[in-house]
Amino acid sequence: MSSNDKKWFSLDLGNKKKQESSSCGCGKSSSGCNSHNKPIQEKQPDGFDQVFNVKMDRRTAFKKLTASLAIGAGAISTSCSVVAGDETKEKSQIEWEEQFKGNYKLMTDEEKKGTVDRLVRSYQLRTGKNISMSSKNAEEDVLFGYAFNISKCQGYMDCVSACVEENNQDRNSQMEYIRIHEMKDGKGFNFNEADDNYYHEVPAEGHFYMGTQCFHCDNPPCVDVCPVQATWREDDGLVVIDYDWCIGCRYCMAACPYDGRRFNWSKPEVPEVEVNKDQHYLGNRMRKKGVMEKCTFCVQRSRAGKNPACVEACPTGSRIFGNLLDPNSTIRWVIENKKVFRLKEDLGTEPKFWYFMD
Amino acid sequence: MKKNYHFIYIICVLLISSTIISCKHKEDDYHNIKDAIDAKSKNYDGISISSEEFIGDINTIEITEGEHTFLIPERKSQIKSYACTECHTKDLDQMQNLKDSKKAHWDISINHADDKTMNCITCHNAKKIDDLTSITGTSIDFNNSYQLCSQCHTRQFEDWKGGAHGKILESWAPPRASMTCVNCHNPHDPHFETKWPDRFNTQKVKERD
Repeated sequence: MSSNDKKWFSLDLGNKKKQESSSCGCGKSSSGCNSHNKPIQEKQPDGFDQVFNVKMDRRTAFKKLTASLAIGAGAISTSCSVVAGDETKEKSQIEWEEQFKGNYKLMTDEEKKGTVDRLVRSYQLRTGKNISMSSKNAEEDVLFGYAFNISKCQGYMDCVSACVEENNQDRNSQMEYIRIHEMKDGKGFNFNEADDNYYHEVPAEGHFYMGTQCFHCDNPPCVDVCPVQATWREDDGLVVIDYDWCIGCRYCMAACPYDGRRFNWSKPEVPEVEVNKDQHYLGNRMRKKGVMEKCTFCVQRSRAGKNPACVEACPTGSRIFGNLLDPNSTIRWVIENKKVFRLKEDLGTEPKFWYFMD
Repeated sequence: MKKNYHFIYIICVLLISSTIISCKHKEDDYHNIKDAIDAKSKNYDGISISSEEFIGDINTIEITEGEHTFLIPERKSQIKSYACTECHTKDLDQMQNLKDSKKAHWDISINHADDKTMNCITCHNAKKIDDLTSITGTSIDFNNSYQLCSQCHTRQFEDWKGGAHGKILESWAPPRASMTCVNCHNPHDPHFETKWPDRFNTQKVKERD
């Protein structure tokens, strides 16, 4: 990629030797990591300007760079140090590139691949372990939908466990995307009186069970309120978050009428052996403190063609997942042939999550 | 008077044109998700993703029931003591009359409907013991055991065919492969016991106290 296509600043941290041998900071010989450019050659606007479409000249670019030097200072000092090894320098280079990358939503496919490569390399440098991370885009003619059978769910919570393991959720705060509500028969959908943290043998006499999670609304209120456009609706209907663009204001959490979003109050911790290494940039990659996250219908699985972890784990067959645009899909049959309803339909959020009964 | 007519005429034209303009939607604007699905799936012509790589080693057979055609796992190779004729060389009625016969299949007890409704030979073919049998005596292959269940459980059968009952194997993408009845239900004892939930969130308890 030529330097004119770049949307963020890059700085060469003394890796000239490597550049000569046509490889770069990230260890890739391709231009994926965007560190092949000369320092401070910035014509294109960065992520902020992409969003607001502000024209940026060379001068403002320098201004911005000066302001950002505080962040980069650490990286630079490492790079200038004689003691620091190649790996440390590479790490700083990656940190720099990551710091100034744009919003994932606006990235080209190469830029997406670039950031994914950097994150994989960064994980490798930090832990010595390899992960695979995808930046697969939405498939054409696919719109994901979900159905939940209230009469089948027995409250076993196998889905919750599978979800936590699949999506690398914080074990300390016991974050869970899915909630299973135990409701009393004859009281209707009374969420105030329902218990979502029961511990007794299930199914309990005189109760029924109902699961909630992110409903991937077609008209998502959480997306509208995000002040930095860190969350958006993808073409296959998934509502996703760029964890690196999120500022943690939690507006979306307040806007969601379904309690579908979760916030990382502390640094998410997952034991190294339990980390799911099959990741997607928008899905289960490791998050940091102070960002939002939520169910993505297991984007790393669903875009590859697999069922989400909760669907696979459910022993009762209460969970049905599929392509709404495929007239022969089971999800379409359920919607067209069973008596389905959605939660708070009157809000106009158009959740793509239908409930039904036998 | 003529001027007046002119005036009315102009207003009418304005009204009609404004209605037409205001009702015009952008291509991607739909009133609700149902309209969007209907409109967008009209030209659906398959997708590049296939479930085949995920089904992989699972041996499946294709079945067609009504308007639904899909795959189910092959059954016979999964039954430990199949084929029956590998042990049983005689017909059932001959075996029953043996003098010093031992009780076979002592580990299986039927807990499915009551004695008046069902016993072994309601489902197992007494004449052709490698097969199953329908109520009217038609032979049913072990691979198609769902045909046996569907004789009574008609409602579940309809839901299963459509995909509302049971589980889809591995992948949401076509071709569809669904689990069959006996992959979840034990035909001799189809009832499920209660059990403890898989997890309990202790943090949630603390937060809410």
